[in-house]
Amino acid sequence: MITVVHIVNQFFAGIGGEDKAGVPVGVSEAAAGAARGLQLQLGAQATIASTVHFGDNWFHEHKEEALKAILAVVQEKQPQVVIAGPAFNAGRYGVSCVEICNRVANELKIPCVTAMHVENPAIGLYRDHANLNYYCLPTAETTAGMADALKALAKFSLRLANGESIGPAKTEGYIGRGIRRLEKTDRPGFERAIDMLLKKINNQPFETEIAMEVWDDIPPAPALDHVKDRNIAVITTSGVVPWGNPGRFKTYRNTHWEKYNIAEVKELEPGKWEAVHGGYNVAYMNKNPHYGVPLDALRTLEAEGVIGAGKLYPAYYVIPGNQGSPAVMRRIGKEIAEDLKKDNVEGVLFVAT
Amino acid sequence: MSKELEKAGLPVALVTAMYPVAEQVRATRIVKGVSIPHPCGDPALPAELDARLRKEIVLTALKALETDVKEPTVFSPNIA
Repeated sequence: MITVVHIVNQFFAGIGGEDKAGVPVGVSEAAAGAARGLQLQLGAQATIASTVHFGDNWFHEHKEEALKAILAVVQEKQPQVVIAGPAFNAGRYGVSCVEICNRVANELKIPCVTAMHVENPAIGLYRDHANLNYYCLPTAETTAGMADALKALAKFSLRLANGESIGPAKTEGYIGRGIRRLEKTDRPGFERAIDMLLKKINNQPFETEIAMEVWDDIPPAPALDHVKDRNIAVITTSGVVPWGNPGRFKTYRNTHWEKYNIAEVKELEPGKWEAVHGGYNVAYMNKNPHYGVPLDALRTLEAEGVIGAGKLYPAYYVIPGNQGSPAVMRRIGKEIAEDLKKDNVEGVLFVAT
Repeated sequence: MSKELEKAGLPVALVTAMYPVAEQVRATRIVKGVSIPHPCGDPALPAELDARLRKEIVLTALKALETDVKEPTVFSPNIA
C-alpha cells in the first residue's frame, strides 16, 4: 500500500477563507477537505496518511517555520509521494506548493507533485527550481477544474510512488521546466541534424532537440542625466577577485555573488587580484585585472571630474559567468539590484567576458 | 543579470566583446568590448595606449547611461 501526504491551504482544508489565512501549520490524520476527493481518485492503491494545512498568509510570514513544520510531518510519515495543491490561479497558495515540493524533494528525497494554472505566478519559481524530483501539472484557472486536477494528480502521484520513470514534459503533460536530458537514439547527431536542415530548407515542420531559451524584452531603465552626479557601481562576470579567491568561486556554474571593497584602492595590482573563470584564457586578466574591472580608468575620470567625487560605489560585484544558467543569473541580478538600491546606486557599469 | 538590474530601474552599460549575443538576449545598453579575455583594453598595445583605450571604453559606457534607448543598442568606443 502506498502512503501519501497531502498538503493544502486553509481554504481547501475546510478551515475557512481569507479570515483564516493566518492559521499556522496543522495536521489532520487521514484525508480531510479537498484530500477526500483525492483519496477517492487514488482508490485502493494508496492511502492519504495525513493532510497538512497552512494559512496562506501564515506560510509566507513564517516561511522557515512553516517549511520546517511541514517537513517534520512528512519525515515522520515517510510517504512514497507528497502531493501539494491543486492551487489553480491562487498566487500565495501556488508559491507555497512549489516551495514545499522543492524542499521535500531536496531534503527528504521524496518525489512530489503539485498542480496549478500555467499563469500562476509560482510557475516562474517552479522553472527556476528546475528540480528533477518534483513536477507541476497544469490545471484550469479556477476550482471548476477540481475533478480533473485531482484525477491527474492521483494518476501522476501513483506513478511517482511506484518509481516509474517520467518522460519529457511534452509527452507526459506536466509543465516543462526547461531541463535538458540525455536520450539514447540509434542515429548519430549529424544524420539527425542534416534531416532537420533538409526539412527546414523544404519548409517542412521539424522539431529541435535543443530548445533555446526564449528571451523576453524588458523596458530599458530611463537614462541618467548628469552622470557625474550619479552613484555608479561596477559589476563583472569576468571572475576578477582578490588573490586567493576568498569567495571560493568555482570556474563554472557559480550560484552566488560576492562584493569586494575598492574604497581605498587606486588600481588593481597584478598579483593582488586574480581571475577565476573556466570559459576564457585568464592570463591577460591576471596580468592586468583592469580588463575586467577598469578601476584605473574610473579613478582617472574621477580625478578629471567626469565622475563626481565619492560617486563611485566603494565595492564592486562579481560572479564568474561561465556556464551560469539563465535562471541563476536572473536571481543574482535581482539580488544585486536590491543591494545596490539599498545604497542608492543609480547606474551600473557591467563588464562581461 | 543586466536585464534584472534594468527591470529594477537601474540603467546598465554592458561592456562585452560578445555584443551580438548581448543583443540576441535583449540586453539594452551594450558597449563593444575589445575581446572576450580582455573586454576593457588591449594587451597588444603599449601600456599608455591600453590605458587610454580603457578610458575611452568607460567614457562610452557613461555616455550609454546618459542615453535613452528603446531597444538593444550597441555603443562603439572611438578606437582610433
